[in-house]
Amino acid sequence: MKNVRRLVCMFLVAFLVLGLAACGGGKEAEPEKTSSQPAKTDAAKPSSDAGDSTETEYERVVISYSCPQVVEGYDYNTGDDYSKFILEKFNFEFEGKNVPWGEWHNMLSTWIMAQDMPDVAIFNYGDGTHADASNFVDQGLIKRLPDDWKTRWPNVAKVYETTSLGPMLEDLYGGTYFIPRARFFYNLPGDPLANHWSLWVRSDWVAAVGKEVKNNYTIPEILEIAKLIKEQDPGKVGAALAPISMDAGNSARFFLEANSTHWDTFYKGSDGKYAWGAAAEDTLEGLKLWYQAYSTGILDPEFYLLDYEKDMEKFQTLGVAGVSYLGGQTADVERFRIDFTDYTGFDASAFGLATLLGTDGNYHQRDLINFWGAVCFSPDVDDAVFERWMDLMEFTASEDGYPGTQMGLKGIDWDRDANGDIVSLVPPGTLLAGDVGDAKYPSLGHVLGSVILWDDLAFDNPNVAEEYRDESRALYKNRSEICTPESFAKVDWDLWMHNTDNLRRARGIDYDTEFSNLVTNAKSEADLVNLYNAWLEAQQALIQPVLDELNN
Amino acid sequence: MAASSGYSGKPSPKHRIARLGRDIWKNRGKYFLVLPGIVWYAIFAYIPIFGLSLAFKKYMAKMGLFGSPWIGLANFENVFADPAFMKSIYTTLWINAGRLIFVFPVPIILALMFNEVRLGRSKKILQSIFTFPHFLSWVIVGSIMISVLGQRGVVNSILTLLFGTEPIGFLGTPAYFQPIVYLTDIWKSTGWSAIIYLAAISGIDTEQYQAAEIDGSTRLQRIWYITLPGIKPTIIVLFILAVGNLMSGGFDQIFNLSNPATIRVAEILDMYIYRITFRGSVDFSFSAAVALFRSVINLLLLLTADRITKRIDGSGLLA
Repeated sequence: MKNVRRLVCMFLVAFLVLGLAACGGGKEAEPEKTSSQPAKTDAAKPSSDAGDSTETEYERVVISYSCPQVVEGYDYNTGDDYSKFILEKFNFEFEGKNVPWGEWHNMLSTWIMAQDMPDVAIFNYGDGTHADASNFVDQGLIKRLPDDWKTRWPNVAKVYETTSLGPMLEDLYGGTYFIPRARFFYNLPGDPLANHWSLWVRSDWVAAVGKEVKNNYTIPEILEIAKLIKEQDPGKVGAALAPISMDAGNSARFFLEANSTHWDTFYKGSDGKYAWGAAAEDTLEGLKLWYQAYSTGILDPEFYLLDYEKDMEKFQTLGVAGVSYLGGQTADVERFRIDFTDYTGFDASAFGLATLLGTDGNYHQRDLINFWGAVCFSPDVDDAVFERWMDLMEFTASEDGYPGTQMGLKGIDWDRDANGDIVSLVPPGTLLAGDVGDAKYPSLGHVLGSVILWDDLAFDNPNVAEEYRDESRALYKNRSEICTPESFAKVDWDLWMHNTDNLRRARGIDYDTEFSNLVTNAKSEADLVNLYNAWLEAQQALIQPVLDELNN
Repeated sequence: MAASSGYSGKPSPKHRIARLGRDIWKNRGKYFLVLPGIVWYAIFAYIPIFGLSLAFKKYMAKMGLFGSPWIGLANFENVFADPAFMKSIYTTLWINAGRLIFVFPVPIILALMFNEVRLGRSKKILQSIFTFPHFLSWVIVGSIMISVLGQRGVVNSILTLLFGTEPIGFLGTPAYFQPIVYLTDIWKSTGWSAIIYLAAISGIDTEQYQAAEIDGSTRLQRIWYITLPGIKPTIIVLFILAVGNLMSGGFDQIFNLSNPATIRVAEILDMYIYRITFRGSVDFSFSAAVALFRSVINLLLLLTADRITKRIDGSGLLA
């Protein structure tokens, strides 16, 4: 009997201890993360052609890192010569964790909340995720950078200052927790900054239906062209023809964002009062155009079933779409066209890029803000790991380091001439960055410490044909010119930084889905207006408290 | 038992524990085999119950579950302020009630039909064919449905060929959403679910069938008067469990079959929880409040179903 009691007691005790351990939130009892422990061997010296003058000897460390651009299944440690160069120069072993694009924020947030984030991660910073970021900072779940970091890593600091967001957050948090990565550093094309999202237009079809090939179109102009394409089928595509091919998200950008600057957020009106953009007149106007395109069969009749990038496939791979609305990054413009030619057999000139304007003839957008993704560190990161990554970023932010993130190895793939201009050393058409098996250096890109993103160098990259770089410059330029301060609005930092439970809940509205639903369910334009008004009414419980906060 | 132990009344707790201890010791081999199951259940089913307290707190990761500040019913107030929440409850109940009516009986009918197939080989082949779809994920089924029911899919091609009709947007029409949910559910799960009923049927004494046959009963009469009553307890248990799941379940299916055009008739509670937890700002407390509400409703539905079946039939799931 005694033994039974003992057994039962021991079981209960073990059960409770295990239970408490499972529920406990503290990290104190955990051993230090092994990934952050420097190994005591293999001190390495930075190679002399690296371009910086530091002669620091590094102890080997293991650095864990996460962002969606980590190539899944690719071993950066043994991968290609560029990754080997970086890893040897800074003497670390790289543990990259890929996160799917759609799960980026929630996966990283879950790791941060569980106090199990990688040493370094890219946080998908934006007005929609600012509340979470702020919460993480308040709780000490993100490392605060040492106060002297700007003097220790001056190149990074220079880039940081151009991002606007970095200094704003520093003021807000009273220290640096995030280092936003700059889209542009040497080649900022405008302030406010335009987005690269562009119309993809089949120029040959536009000409064939008797319309002018331009570098900007209003929404009605494009609908008219699409209507003619549907009627005349200039490419003789038959039943597969999709005059406009866009998924639900891109349709919302095309019909709503391009016509109504604040369609999915709040804004300060001319009376100084905040209002809700979804209820603005130009949003309804865009919605009507969307319905018109859908109900007349100009827009893909099953646009709501298209997965991410399937619309791109119809244009670029199958050659059956007349118009799409997709990314138009300078760095990718040439690649898009090469792929288009390879897949469809059409000449690259048939692939036109243009700016989409609203019905008022103006370009509509909110300031993109000069950053994309912010570097952050685990609060438990080892000092050696933290400093190593900062050193790496300092290198990629230097004049000798940043071209390498896109062009490969200095002295082998590129160099600078007597004037200091970048020159290419590879034959034209060499694919430096890209998929494993196709590209020379699959590791090239934003993963290995990049703080100046590709958009910037693309304007100076001699591997991209001059005509395409000029085309991109022209697109950015006309967006900055064909607009008003209201249609192309500067960032409202008060709103951007507004962080309350009410706003957080209001941001949970999935505008792409909601507006797609209104369009597909309407029986007529009058019915669309009724559905839209009913929807606006139903959202008031979420919207009104935010407006009350902002206006009081 | 009490009388045999020499006591005239109910045994005291002390004696009951002692008796339990003796029983455990006597059957220690069996209890040892059960132990992993108990430990699994304790760790994964009972300990996480502490997590429900999150619904009444403002979760702070650094402070942990127990240290996070208590905010009472504030999360619930926010939950009920969201119109999408109440809508998702209605949608969940509507879809799952339909499931009870249209999907739940199908495996029973299939099991009865299988039971009537006399050729063992054909029976096995048929059973394998019906069971196979169970092993396909809903992601794959979703893709298959686009190929079958899309505007350029098989069904529309046949309709156009035979009747010259314009393509119908089956997957984008809210009115078709529920039927598609039930049909795909039946196609995917019926074969698998029928296994339980077949097992129950195999437990029915065959002498009853022989006696009925001698008495001149028809096949339908044997099904009605022998097979169905024989598997009634199984049907009742599974029915009560299905009622207890009215507020949950079906996430994978509906998530993969829905799209922006049908979202208003498709956003069930689990999808709502997913959206507010991961698509917006990460707020575990808010999600926990919704999940707790769902669990409470599920429990009430289960108890109600159990009570009703007891009233009607005299047997139920719970003692």
